[in-house]
Amino acid sequence: MQYKLTRIDPNTPTDQQYPIGQRGNVDDPMKQQVHRNVFMGKLEDVLNAGVNWGRKNSLWPYNFGLSCCYVEMTTAFTAPHDVARFGAEVIRASPRQADFMVIAGTCFIKMAPVIQQLYDQMLEPKWVISMGSCANSGGMYDIYSVVQGVDKFLPVDVYIPGCPPRPEAFLQGLQLLQDSVQEERRPLSWVVGDQGVYRAEMPSQKEKSRAERIQVTNLRTPDEV
Amino acid sequence: MTADTALSNSSQDVAQDGIVAELYAQFGAEAFTLQPTLIGMPVVWAAREQLLDIMKFLRGVPRPYVMLYDLHGVDERLRMHRDGLPKADFTVFYQLMSLERNSDIMLKVALSEADLRVPTVTGIWPNANWYEREVFDMFGIDFPGHPHLTRILMPPNWNGHPLRKDYPARATEFDPYTLTMEGQDKAQEALRFNPEDWGMQRRTEETDYMFLNLGPNHPSAHGAFRIVLQLDGEEIVDCVPDIGYHHRAAEKMGERQSWHSYIPYTDRVDYTGGVMNNLPYILAVEKLAGIKVPARVETIRIMMAELFRISSHLLFLGTYLQDLGAMSPVFFAFTDRQKSYEVIEAITGFRMHPAWFRIGGVAQDLPKGWEGKVKSFIDWMPKRLNEYQRAMMDNAVVRERTKGVAAYTTREALEWGVTGPNLRATGFEFDLRKARPYSGYENFEFEIPVAHNGDAFDRGMMRIEEMRQSLRIMQQCLDNMPAGDYKADHPLTTPPPREKMLQHIETLITHFLQVSWGPVLKANESQQMIEATKGINSYYLTSDGNTMSYRTRIRTPSYPHLQQIPAVMRGGFVPDLIAHLGSIDFVMADVDR
Ligand code: SF4
Repeated sequence: MQYKLTRIDPNTPTDQQYPIGQRGNVDDPMKQQVHRNVFMGKLEDVLNAGVNWGRKNSLWPYNFGLSCCYVEMTTAFTAPHDVARFGAEVIRASPRQADFMVIAGTCFIKMAPVIQQLYDQMLEPKWVISMGSCANSGGMYDIYSVVQGVDKFLPVDVYIPGCPPRPEAFLQGLQLLQDSVQEERRPLSWVVGDQGVYRAEMPSQKEKSRAERIQVTNLRTPDEV
Repeated sequence: MTADTALSNSSQDVAQDGIVAELYAQFGAEAFTLQPTLIGMPVVWAAREQLLDIMKFLRGVPRPYVMLYDLHGVDERLRMHRDGLPKADFTVFYQLMSLERNSDIMLKVALSEADLRVPTVTGIWPNANWYEREVFDMFGIDFPGHPHLTRILMPPNWNGHPLRKDYPARATEFDPYTLTMEGQDKAQEALRFNPEDWGMQRRTEETDYMFLNLGPNHPSAHGAFRIVLQLDGEEIVDCVPDIGYHHRAAEKMGERQSWHSYIPYTDRVDYTGGVMNNLPYILAVEKLAGIKVPARVETIRIMMAELFRISSHLLFLGTYLQDLGAMSPVFFAFTDRQKSYEVIEAITGFRMHPAWFRIGGVAQDLPKGWEGKVKSFIDWMPKRLNEYQRAMMDNAVVRERTKGVAAYTTREALEWGVTGPNLRATGFEFDLRKARPYSGYENFEFEIPVAHNGDAFDRGMMRIEEMRQSLRIMQQCLDNMPAGDYKADHPLTTPPPREKMLQHIETLITHFLQVSWGPVLKANESQQMIEATKGINSYYLTSDGNTMSYRTRIRTPSYPHLQQIPAVMRGGFVPDLIAHLGSIDFVMADVDR
């Protein structure tokens, strides 16, 4: 599996554009020679998998909403969809206590510096889900006041398409984030080992379901409920 | 105003109208130019020098114009069809509302590019404040005498005035957005609140005030809304709402989308209102096009709009009570919303933004079996509403938190342009569905709930009562759904009926043009006001004889509601502000558009 490495230099010059941190594609760090020692390697594997398992099953969302998509996101949090099934019901009002931020809605130029500030206030490990066409690419708002995709300045882990995506799509996005968290390689502590963050390159969902989708030839007519 | 009467509105009729005669008597007929439009109210152009006198006259006339309903501008420089209108590069227009007359008047002032100044009317109508700031922001028109003329929607360090015709619309016409650490610091610094700019003191002899910044991201701010509080202990001495964090430029968008392809953008204005937003736009377009829709279309539209009103009010109720500290209602309310979405999805195929109304009809006929869905929803809701009322509104804690909190009178409400349930909570019965029925509301039996104290509690109660009435309307739609077509038989109906397409080359070509370029509407102006979920919402469209609108003005109810906050909250406590914010029922897209 390919990994994307992020390593943030504390002395980054201030004219550097967001997102900050060197990036490069590397192989799985756990498969490198140093980790090949049979005993230590296994231990590290188990430890990593255990920590990631813990992380992915208690993702605390940051209560942050921008526009319409936020309504569908909250819908996913309430009784009919029940996000607690995935361990992500502990909504935090402070970025400092949250694990991931969902950019649910349109990212406005006036709002972008504020979003960046809130993201910076979240503690590592942290993740970003971009929910809805607006956050993904500007969507139908190719207009002067809108940033054409939040990934112009934030590192995004999962994109959820839709305008707005259904609550079920949000839940699927959350599970995809969980899958990707399971594969991550992060420092176990700020004093132990390599301080880079290695994010797995997850397979594209579009490619994955193409064969199945292309099979569909008859769509139900909307003339009947 | 129905389509028929709007269409017959020639300038002769308008001059007979009481108010125009009164104006002529007072200022002389030569002071005015009357513009014939499809707006359904007299539209008069007046000289800038006389503006304030005319405004004062209208405010003081017997059966006065008590509300400044709307104020905005138009860039007239590229407009081709201006026959008979005073020469103008820019126009500022004012729409005033008289509730006793149940009629409006629109006043326009022509400006030349070299001298973009109009005296402020904030001395007569306090709610002109934000509107004038917005006109300044969007067009660069100056309002001498305005207490604080700064940008309101765009960031303070923005360049240019977006609604001018020479300002590019698309983000992709500019360089891609980038953000650096430095840039972020600068932008954040530009947002720093400086009390002196607002004429506020940092301290007095006795106290040092605390300035508390709430938002633009705060759980009870309902979206990207910011308000800065000047506090003396827990008490709010003054506050300054700051908006513009949700400006999606819906008005500019209208100038580049075809009449037809603009419909989805309307859904996203009051984003909890769904197809309710399509309604004023579609009705205004139909006036321009001269389309009269079949009774079935009107009834389907009303049914869907009322269903969305319920779904929006449920969202309100859940979040309102949550802001007051009650966790569970939001879960119940969203369960009910899910039920409403089952109906909405079955009929329109989508949840939040169906964009389902069309020029001259709706997208599709009702599917087979829709009655069952609607019926089960109508059966489900009443007992839930009773439960909400018993569990929450009779609850001592909720009552303590909201009774007498953030109360205002009818007079204050009108002064600030407050409409909808928030106005009716003050005891004033004014609902457009009754006062100026549109889309066939005159055929329905329902009551207009009113409350009396105009406080946060009454605003909550109003919504529950309104949902009951909406259910009643839906029941009548269900019982009496007229048979017939779901589209008007008119050449401008878009998309045109498919059956007519394949007959010969002519019909095919027209169909093709109408689907690709969209319909061309005759040059004129029209407007439609409706009683939307949050108050009065209207679309004021100017056609220049093109496939797109020349100017689309969207007047939204939430905008004045937020502007009013300081007037209500001065002297209140911080928790009362949260209760008030919860009780207003606003979404930021409905404010910043
Ligand atoms: S993607 Fe669609 S639903 Fe989501 S915020 Fe944008 S316009 Fe609204």
